[in-house]
Amino acid sequence: MSLELTNLSKSFKHDTVLDGVSLQVPEGKTLVLFGPSGAGKTVLLRLIAGVIEPDNGQIKISGIDVDGAEPEDRNIGMAFQNFALFPHMDAHANIAAPLTAQRKDQSAIQSGVQALAKLLKIDHVLGHKPKELSNGQKQRTALARALAGKPKILLLDDPLRNVDAKLRFEMRLELPRLLSDQNATVIYVTQDYKEAMAFGDEIAVINDGIVQQIGTPEDIYLTPANVEIARLFGDPVINFLDVTLQKDATGVFVLISDKRIDLDANYSHAIGNECTLGIRPESVLFVNQDHENAVPVTVEAETPLNEKTVNLCLTARGREIMASRPAGTDGPENGPAFVNIEAANAVIFDKQTGVRIESEQSTGEGNVT
Amino acid sequence: MQTTSTLESVLRGIAITAIILFFMFPILWIFLMSFQTNETILRVPPSLFFEPTLTNYRSLISGKLEGSTATLEIRFMSNLYNSLFLSVTSVTVGLILGVPAAYAFARLKFRGSEDIAFTLLSFRFAPPLLVLLPLTIYFQQIGLADTYGGLIWVYQLIVLPLILWIVRGYFEDIPADIEYAYRIAGHGFWATFRKIALPLAGPGIAAAGLLAFIFAWNNFIFALVLASADKQPVTVGALAFITASGINYGQIAAGIMLSIAPTFALALYAQRYLVEGLSLGAVKG
Amino acid sequence: MYQLIQGALERRIMATATVGDPPKRKFKINKKYLPYLLSLPALLTCIGILIPFFTAVAYSLQRYRLSQPWARKYNWGENYLNFMTDPSFWNTLKVSMTYAFVTVGVELLLGLGIALLLQKRTRFNNFVSIMLLMPLMTAPALASLMWKLMTNPGFGVLSYFAELIGIQDMRWASDPSTAMLTVVIVDVWVYTPFIMILLLAGLRSLPRQPFEAAELDGVPRLFVFWKITLPMLTPFLLTATLFRVIESIQQFDIIYAMTQGGPGDTLTVFQVEAYLNFFQSTNVGRSAALLMILWAITYFLSNIFIKNWLRLREKAHGDA
Repeated sequence: MSLELTNLSKSFKHDTVLDGVSLQVPEGKTLVLFGPSGAGKTVLLRLIAGVIEPDNGQIKISGIDVDGAEPEDRNIGMAFQNFALFPHMDAHANIAAPLTAQRKDQSAIQSGVQALAKLLKIDHVLGHKPKELSNGQKQRTALARALAGKPKILLLDDPLRNVDAKLRFEMRLELPRLLSDQNATVIYVTQDYKEAMAFGDEIAVINDGIVQQIGTPEDIYLTPANVEIARLFGDPVINFLDVTLQKDATGVFVLISDKRIDLDANYSHAIGNECTLGIRPESVLFVNQDHENAVPVTVEAETPLNEKTVNLCLTARGREIMASRPAGTDGPENGPAFVNIEAANAVIFDKQTGVRIESEQSTGEGNVT
Repeated sequence: MQTTSTLESVLRGIAITAIILFFMFPILWIFLMSFQTNETILRVPPSLFFEPTLTNYRSLISGKLEGSTATLEIRFMSNLYNSLFLSVTSVTVGLILGVPAAYAFARLKFRGSEDIAFTLLSFRFAPPLLVLLPLTIYFQQIGLADTYGGLIWVYQLIVLPLILWIVRGYFEDIPADIEYAYRIAGHGFWATFRKIALPLAGPGIAAAGLLAFIFAWNNFIFALVLASADKQPVTVGALAFITASGINYGQIAAGIMLSIAPTFALALYAQRYLVEGLSLGAVKG
Repeated sequence: MYQLIQGALERRIMATATVGDPPKRKFKINKKYLPYLLSLPALLTCIGILIPFFTAVAYSLQRYRLSQPWARKYNWGENYLNFMTDPSFWNTLKVSMTYAFVTVGVELLLGLGIALLLQKRTRFNNFVSIMLLMPLMTAPALASLMWKLMTNPGFGVLSYFAELIGIQDMRWASDPSTAMLTVVIVDVWVYTPFIMILLLAGLRSLPRQPFEAAELDGVPRLFVFWKITLPMLTPFLLTATLFRVIESIQQFDIIYAMTQGGPGDTLTVFQVEAYLNFFQSTNVGRSAALLMILWAITYFLSNIFIKNWLRLREKAHGDA
């Protein structure tokens, strides 16, 4: 079941929550909806599910316009952010809800529920009411309920949000396998970029009711559409340096601490503009003084960050720049040092608008708004 | 912890005692009176200690009284029956009609919903006679004058606004996501209403039904104006006692006791629901 | 309408067919009409009230006596104009307002006092507050009857008590000078528990912090009461007052059961007077006009009440 959203808009009172959102999800693929709270993601899910109606636009499931179809007829499974379990029914009855709707007989319901519960490791609490379950168990019950009816479309609204860190990590390994086993078309909503990169075949970044960028995780990570998206994806945060593009006979370059950094020639159309250079810490490497493009810095501090070690440095003019390297490798002491900025991985943004400037040769993947 | 002086405690004690005395005394006194013979009652000064008798209750229930018009007595038991029948049926009808309507008001925002709700609410406070007096004339014309049906319909004026008022609040308190989840799972609007909304609003429906029953039972003016002689509830019937000749005060007292017993019992049995309903849903008990 | 249902059914079947479920042959009412269908009883009740209501309006503009049907005609605002110069009307107004304000005033003070005394959640206090609910559960007409028995000049226990403290031959409701007092006592007895319950719920719902802070700072309790408790209770007090005034000014049961409006016209409040006009003097026109004036008063007051109550509910639900 493929999903196609065309130009969806929805307002509440005078608040425009969604403004012309268009998305496509091919059958069996997972699209991650990424964005801060209030961006409109939950409303979008509700529109697809059919519990609210759009002001404008179309929703098509497998090419058929579902306008007017009631939620119970859309064969959708949905897991809510705050679980939305039926408080007066036990976990078993909660999970069985889609099966009772399909008028399955008792034995089919039993086996279906048991199988899912065992898979999600909640088979020992099936007799409990929601208020007797832990958050993790509630989340898995909600997930089981979404999966029970073998829906062709799965809507998962930040299901790992209210769950402790350890369980979240476990689920990040289990869920993709679970979802691919179901062979459903999935929309997964999250505010955590690591989840987004782990789950999505494609990621759609939504903010202020519009889609700011759609692309594969690599696209979003390597060529973010604007400064905000660049900042949201990546740990530690991307480095931003104000630069001015210059050109001479040998090509396009910028000056950082009076050291020349060569850029792709195809940025020549942005010469003279005020720009922001974005470079990820893992593309800032410590080198010897005699390296060709070595930029002098002063190392201020060092801190471990998961599997990396991060150094905070100051440039000659006092700008902050972070460099990261795999943990366990050698690095400089505090004090003067030199770094090489890998220009090939740099991203240029317009300083005013924050929008990424594309090199003229780029194939223009991803929407830039 | 605030320290309370002994003087304060004593004053508190006196105050509470006086209050309890004031509010409980009449009930107690009439209770005692219902076990007294007319002789004992008429004795001055009133006697606290006496020989109790069950004749008052017996004659009320059996419907016979020596030395007075027999018709009066029989009427009391039928009054009691009328009260029961009218209250139970009105509330049942009110719930059947009102609960789905309350759900519609809570969940489906449609044009005019607020206006209808407001109108109904404001008529809850309108003087009943305004509606009842013209109805006495209409009832003759449309043949509802001597029927239970007409009364039950008029009682909806008491029962429906109350039920709508209270139950709507309870439906609105159910998080919408829970109902959405049931719909998405594959169940339709009605299944969601029956299996999710109704059970979760159960306490509210009980509170509304309880309160509606009490109001219907205690109602006086509706029955006074519109009920024909054989369909009068106890509130009107008890009054007829006193205005009749040859009254036996002990029986009146017994009649009053029998008339207030049901509402008292209900109130004691379901206090929590009562408090929630009485505070008009403004505060959850 | 048919096309709408047809269209909805078609789309439904299409949607179900594609999403892999066997199409269900349920009859589905178009969603747009569902709300109106569900609230049909409420609508019908509205109509059921409005028809007699407008009839009453019409009557109030007529000279109409059931005993003189031939003389029935529209005299438009004459009934109302006559009220201006009718001492009986002014008496009705005076008695009704006196009754309303005295009863509600006493009930507010008493109810507040009791609520304050019982506000701590102890087993004893809960027990007492349940006990005190009982008068409220009594039908007001029957309550009147109970007090009538107790104030019987011959054998009534209260008459006896009155004698003990020196008041001879107290005639309670039969005496014009004490009739109002008597019915007020009955009203207070029945309805104070209502105010108590409302204010008790209100008191217990107040946030703890301001009081704890005041206690820590050693603020005198009277000050706490005036400057903290009372202001925070205001919405509840207002709700209770409005509610009771609206009811009190239309009181019928208690007064009719006690004296049918007598002695003379000491207790002829609006609804009692209207009743007597209709059934005794068969003066439908005057009766209707009286009720319209009463309705105008209560409509005005109840509008304020409903808006206030809705606001109170929003606050309670917002904090929940």
